[in-house]
Amino acid sequence: MPSDHSTTATSPASASPPLIDGRVPGQVVAPLDGREVAEALATLASDGLVVAPVGGATALGLGNLPERLDVALSTANLGGIIEYEPTDLVISAGAGTRFGDLQAVLADHGQTLPIEVPRLADSTVGGLVATALSGPRRLGSGTLRDLLIGISVAHPSGTVTKAGGMVVKNVTGFDLPRLYHGSLGTLGVIVSANFKVLPLPRSETTVVAGFPSAGDALDAASRLYRSPLQPVALEAGRFESGWFASARFEGRDQTVRAAAAEAEHLLGGHAERFNAEESQRRWESYLAPQVIETTDDRPDLLVRCAVRPRDAVSLVQGITRVADERRFTISYLGCSMGLGTVMVRGVFLEGGSADALRALQERLLAIADHVTILSAPPDWKWGLDIWGRPPETLDVMRSLKEQFDPQRVLNRGRFAGGI
Amino acid sequence: MDHAGLVQRLERILGPGGVFHRPGDLLVYEYDGSVDGAVDTARPAAVALPTTTEQVAAVVKLANEAGLPVVARGAGTGLSGGAVAQQGGIIISLTRMDRILEIDREDRTALVEPGVINLELSETALPEGFFFAPDPSSQKACTVGGNVAENSGGPHCLKYGVTTNHVLGLEVVLPDGRVVWTGGRAPGGSGYDLTAAMVGSEGMLGIVTKALVRLTPQPESVVVLLAAFGDMDAASHAVSGIIAAGIVPAALEMMDALTIEAVEPAYHAGYPMDAGAVLLIELDGPTGDVRETADEVSTLCRQAGATEVRTASEKAERDLLWKGRKMALAAMGRLAPNYYLHDTVVPRSKLPATLRRVGEVSKEYDLPIANVFHAGDGNLHPLMLFDRRRKGSVERVLEASHDLLHYCVEVGGALSGEHGIGTEKRDYMTLVFTADDLAAMAGVKNSFDPRGCFNPEKLFPKGYMCGEVRALRAQAMAQKLGIYAL
Ligand SMILES: Cc1cc2nc3c(=O)[nH]c(=O)nc-3n(C[C@H](O)[C@H](O)[C@H](O)COP(=O)(O)OP(=O)(O)OC[C@H]3O[C@@H](n4cnc5c(N)ncnc54)[C@H](O)[C@@H]3O)c2cc1C
Ligand SMILES: Cc1cc2nc3c(=O)[nH]c(=O)nc-3n(C[C@H](O)[C@H](O)[C@H](O)COP(=O)(O)OP(=O)(O)OC[C@H]3O[C@@H](n4cnc5c(N)ncnc54)[C@H](O)[C@@H]3O)c2cc1C
Repeated sequence: MPSDHSTTATSPASASPPLIDGRVPGQVVAPLDGREVAEALATLASDGLVVAPVGGATALGLGNLPERLDVALSTANLGGIIEYEPTDLVISAGAGTRFGDLQAVLADHGQTLPIEVPRLADSTVGGLVATALSGPRRLGSGTLRDLLIGISVAHPSGTVTKAGGMVVKNVTGFDLPRLYHGSLGTLGVIVSANFKVLPLPRSETTVVAGFPSAGDALDAASRLYRSPLQPVALEAGRFESGWFASARFEGRDQTVRAAAAEAEHLLGGHAERFNAEESQRRWESYLAPQVIETTDDRPDLLVRCAVRPRDAVSLVQGITRVADERRFTISYLGCSMGLGTVMVRGVFLEGGSADALRALQERLLAIADHVTILSAPPDWKWGLDIWGRPPETLDVMRSLKEQFDPQRVLNRGRFAGGI
Repeated sequence: MDHAGLVQRLERILGPGGVFHRPGDLLVYEYDGSVDGAVDTARPAAVALPTTTEQVAAVVKLANEAGLPVVARGAGTGLSGGAVAQQGGIIISLTRMDRILEIDREDRTALVEPGVINLELSETALPEGFFFAPDPSSQKACTVGGNVAENSGGPHCLKYGVTTNHVLGLEVVLPDGRVVWTGGRAPGGSGYDLTAAMVGSEGMLGIVTKALVRLTPQPESVVVLLAAFGDMDAASHAVSGIIAAGIVPAALEMMDALTIEAVEPAYHAGYPMDAGAVLLIELDGPTGDVRETADEVSTLCRQAGATEVRTASEKAERDLLWKGRKMALAAMGRLAPNYYLHDTVVPRSKLPATLRRVGEVSKEYDLPIANVFHAGDGNLHPLMLFDRRRKGSVERVLEASHDLLHYCVEVGGALSGEHGIGTEKRDYMTLVFTADDLAAMAGVKNSFDPRGCFNPEKLFPKGYMCGEVRALRAQAMAQKLGIYAL
């Protein structure tokens, strides 16, 4: 905590400036509360400067290249649980709260936010809400969007506003919390967020089966998807040494065990079973390659493609074909059955370039509805919209930006369509 | 454009059968499901009944040309005055756009037109092994478009979430008449989540002409428990006990003595007539899980003082138990000619205190209040029973409502859990939101509808959206209601 914060809202942060897509902001501020954030934003707006909100700095590479960057606004001083009423199954936490800390508090009361975060020790509540990424569990548990019930946000107009509340069902006014979710900090800086939480599952088991080919792995996962079994996550892909299909079950002990046995049978192949912590660890290591890193000396890409769920298998085939054609080696591929998303990590054989990335994006856009370049060396992102095709509602989105941040103080240019 | 000219132009778009314009035909469109007196009624200039998206768009463009407001309408079961054309203009009724266009087993989605009746969708999905989870008690009548606009909930939203958790994409006619899609079949589209903004926007941002919704697989097994208690306090403690044990029932509903008194003689659902409160607890999932959980819930209820716990696993038995709950509103006619159904929500832990407050208000205003509500969500539905022919009764109901709303907000609750704000509660918005909070919402409204022609006079406090009078009106309103100024 900075010692002197009495004069301005722009108290210097103790940490060194974070690297944002290869750039270093000239200044870092770490306001102490929502009002200070709003004041800082208002001042920056009147000075014509551009700010990047920074939480745990685990996903700063997500987005288009910053059009301009002057100041990093750290939420380091906005951490902490604000309110937690276990019997109400709701929690409110400051934007700077580390996700790992939040989960630990919840776990003490047998509760959880059922989402997967690859770097949970560092990721913050604000960053999670701003980026809206999700993992395999989306199939059974939904995403943070489904759990977000209230929010407090600081705006460049100098105000702090709230929306939603601390109740699990609420239609009092427009649903602003969900609008801020996934807005990548371009509408305001999230100061705190409230979530509905769930009881920890009593038991969990994961079944993993290995296969000689992509086709076999996808077939097996499809079989399971069409069965009456209801896994909370169901993945197929390429991980570590080979092709696999994997299903995660949660619930009461006996049921989970019965489902796992049934799943082993359905998947066929060479199946293994992991229980409790082992199962958790398994998923953590599976998600580890899904990190957003942006260094020029590690030029591998992380790309997410999405189609309607029924087309997932052909999307994987398409991606493999495109990769061959673009001389792109896939080191990791995760296809979420029932969701229609495919995560790919890999490198260009010849080292890659901005042109190679652009061509890859173009080819993938021809076979997928959405293609997002989650992580790429900053040098390759010049002039590229990493979000893919602009949505047909881009003009409405621009007017939203105009209403909330007319001077484009926040993360300028980083969002879809250059918002 | 005069009225005759307007009708003529509308008929050119919709054909003669697609326009209502005579006073007699317009009468039902002056109301929705809300209580006359709590919500103003108003007559539209005309009602358009399109059958295609293109017609909706053409009517919106015509309204723009004529400078008229547009109000979308589903079945008109809304309880906050949402579908009433406060400033007149054109009502676009979506009831003739009622086709289920596609049920996709593999994607687990349905593509429907907005006029599809909620229950019809679930019934159509049933043979495929699915259901549409949002199940408002009005599900036999209300439309999916209305559900989307109000972000409706229902008993099963405790486990499955409300409408917004089940909408993947929307075809929308924007206030300028353009047709666009938000969201879609593939997850993770780019840009802001406009689907999220649309759901619950009470017809103020766009008109939904198609909805792509998620279908939920039928659970393997379902059990309904009926637990009777001496009073609502004991029942509330049972609710807390169940939640604290880490159990999320599919539904967890409470009914008080007055409700039982109305329901049981009419529908013979089997609720004990001497109970002070009953809980209906539905559990679903894999058979083994459900069996174990049912035993656990049963024990928890007895520990909380249940005088009787009954378990129904056969469909006919379950349906009978539910029938009482579902017909509760209809049964109220036995107790009084009129009722005002409230919808507020409080944190679950505040349920016992809030129910006690409801009891006090009932005494203070000499007003019978029945409670039949979504206890698991903390979503109260105090039902105020009255006879509007008795002088001053409507006023008394409104004052009692006012007291209750204040109380719920004070204990950390919200104005509405599922019925929306509309005109009914718009002047209460300043009770929970500051002028800055409302300005953020107005920012969303302005982005979609800069001219304010879609469903004017809703959600924002009276006068809020028209600039200068705003401050004055707000002041007057605040004085009247005894709440903080904007
Ligand atoms: C492939 C993948 C899968 C993931 N799966 C999930 C998942 O299932 N569920 C889940 O919730 N998370 C998931 N995550 C994690 C998450 O998306 C981010 O990695 C992480 O939340 C970023 O947090 P951070 O604090 O490090 O943010 P930072 O890296 O500091 O910031 C990320 C972005 O958010 C903005 N931002 C940060 N804080 C704020 C704020 N307070 N207000 C406004 N804008 C802000 C920043 O400006 C920046 O643009 C996943 C991540 C990846 C890469
Ligand atoms: C007996 C009874 C029980 C009820 N129980 C519940 C309950 O359990 N849970 C609950 O949530 N609600 C309940 N309601 C309230 C009501 O039924 C819901 O709000 C329902 O979703 C409204 O649907 P509708 O088709 O009748 O919409 P309407 O009343 O016609 O319209 C409601 C609002 O939606 C807008 N709208 C309608 N269609 C569209 C469209 N296509 N595009 C854009 N905007 C549109 C209208 O402009 C209006 O603002 C109940 C009502 C009654 C009368």
